[in-house]
Amino acid sequence: MRTVIVGAGQAGRRTAEALRGLDPEREILLLGAEEEPPYDRPPLSKEILLGEARPKGLMQREMNAYAAERIDLRLGVRVVAIDPSGRCATTADGTRIEYDQLVLATGAQARRLKLPGADDPRVMVLRNLDDARVLHAMLRPGLRLAVAGAGLIGLEVAAAAAQLGCAVTVLEMGPRAMVRSMPALIAERVAGWHRAAGMVLHFGCALTAITPQNTGLLLATGQGEIEADLLLVAIGAVADDALARQAGIAVADGILVDAHGRTGTPNIFAAGEVASIRQPDGRHVRFESWQVAQQQPLAVANAICGIDKPYAELPWHWTDQHGHNVQVFGAHEPGFDWIERDDGAGRFAALGLDAEGRVRGAVLIDNGRDATPVRRIIAGGQRIDRERLSDVSVGLRLLC
Amino acid sequence: MVWHDVAPAEDFEPDVPKVIEVGEERIAVYHLDDGFYAISDICTHQYAILSDGFCEHGKVECPLHQACFDIRTGRALDEPAEIALATYPTRIEGGVVQVSLG
Repeated sequence: MRTVIVGAGQAGRRTAEALRGLDPEREILLLGAEEEPPYDRPPLSKEILLGEARPKGLMQREMNAYAAERIDLRLGVRVVAIDPSGRCATTADGTRIEYDQLVLATGAQARRLKLPGADDPRVMVLRNLDDARVLHAMLRPGLRLAVAGAGLIGLEVAAAAAQLGCAVTVLEMGPRAMVRSMPALIAERVAGWHRAAGMVLHFGCALTAITPQNTGLLLATGQGEIEADLLLVAIGAVADDALARQAGIAVADGILVDAHGRTGTPNIFAAGEVASIRQPDGRHVRFESWQVAQQQPLAVANAICGIDKPYAELPWHWTDQHGHNVQVFGAHEPGFDWIERDDGAGRFAALGLDAEGRVRGAVLIDNGRDATPVRRIIAGGQRIDRERLSDVSVGLRLLC
Repeated sequence: MVWHDVAPAEDFEPDVPKVIEVGEERIAVYHLDDGFYAISDICTHQYAILSDGFCEHGKVECPLHQACFDIRTGRALDEPAEIALATYPTRIEGGVVQVSLG
C-alpha cells in the first residue's frame, strides 16, 4: 500500500507522521517542491524577521528523522499532474509515481498585486522560509517599509519591522485592520498598539500604482503618494488547488472535502490550508491557520486507514504583536453582542454572543489561561446569564 | 542538596501553582492530589510562562500555543512542544514546601 502526499509543509508532515503512527507497514512518500524539510509558518512573520535562524516554532526536523520513521521525503520535487483514473502523479522531470491514496497538501500562495511595477524586486510577499530570510536581510533601522494589507501577516511583519527600527506605513483597502480574522473591537486595540509604536496606518486606502525609482518606490494611493524603500504585499493567500482543478477534482477557492478530508474523487484527499472543509450546515470553509494544518491531517490519516474520526475542531488562531498575544476562538460575526472582561492586570477577554444569547466566539488578549474555559463555553452552547459573563470576579473556568 | 522555601503547604490551592525564581531558573510548584510537584515554568517550545496557563487534572497548558505538559513528569503531551520540562524534587519541611535544583 502506498500513500503519496503532495506538499511537504506542516500539513504534509502531519499527514505522514499520523499515517506512520497508525500503520507501520505502509509506504509513505512525502513530496516537497521547496528544498527545505517541512516547517511550520508562524515564525516566518516574527522570529525569523527578528534574526533567529532556527526558531523552535518552525518544528523543522532533520532529514534523518524522516528516514527513521520510514517516510520517504523527497525535496525539490514538484508534481505537475495527477491522473485519478490511472492513480498516478507525474513530477516536473517526468517521473510517474503510482499511488493507492493521494493526499494533496499543497497549501496556498500569497496573493499578488496586479499593478504595473509590482514585479520590481523591492515589492515582496511573505509566504515561505526563503521569503522570510530575504525580508529579514533587508529590514534595517531607518528603512521605509510600506505594507499593503492590514491582515495578520501584514501587521505581524509591521510589528517586527518597527521593532527593528524601520519606518512603517500600513495601507489597507478595508475600513479597519484584520477584517477577516478579528472582531472590530479587538482590531481597534491592536491598531492602537501599532500607532503607539510610531507606525502610520491608513484605512480605506487602496494602492493604485507603483512607480519604481532609483531612490525607492513611489506608491500612489487613494490618500496621496508615499515613498518607500520596500513594499510588502500582504493581501491574503490563494489556495494552491491547480493540480486538483486540472485533474477534475471539485474546487471552489480550495479543494472541496468532507470532514474526513475526502475529495469527491476516489482515493484522493486534501489536507491543511488547501482544503475547503464541509461544515455541519453543508457549507464549505477554507481555514488559513496553524490549527487546520496541525489537526485536520489527523482526520485524513484516519480516513485513509478506515478510521472514522472527522475533523471537528473549534476554529482557533492567534497572533503575537508588540509583545501581546491575541487568540481568537470560534466565530466572530458582525451582529454579535461582545462582552468585554478586563481584569485590570493586563488580561482581557471578549465573549461574542449571538442573537439567542449563546457564546459563539471569544477573543483573549494576554490571557491564555482562559483558552480552555472559553472553548468549553462555546462548545457547550448553553445560554449563560449576561451579568455573570460580565462579572470579572467570576473566573471563566467556573462558567464552563 | 540545597532546598529553597516555596510557601507553606496550607497556602496552596488546587490547580494554582506557586512560582519561585532561583538564579536563572523560574520554577512552578503545583499541589496535585498525590503531592507537590515542581517543574520549570518556561515552555520548551517558545518563551511563555506556563503558570499563566490553564491547569487541570495534573496537566498545564501553555498560555500561548496550548501545548500541554504533564506536571508530574514534565513530559510534553502534544505539539507544538516536544521537549520535556525539567522537573525538580520537592519536600515539606516544618509545613513549608521546598524545592531543590539538585
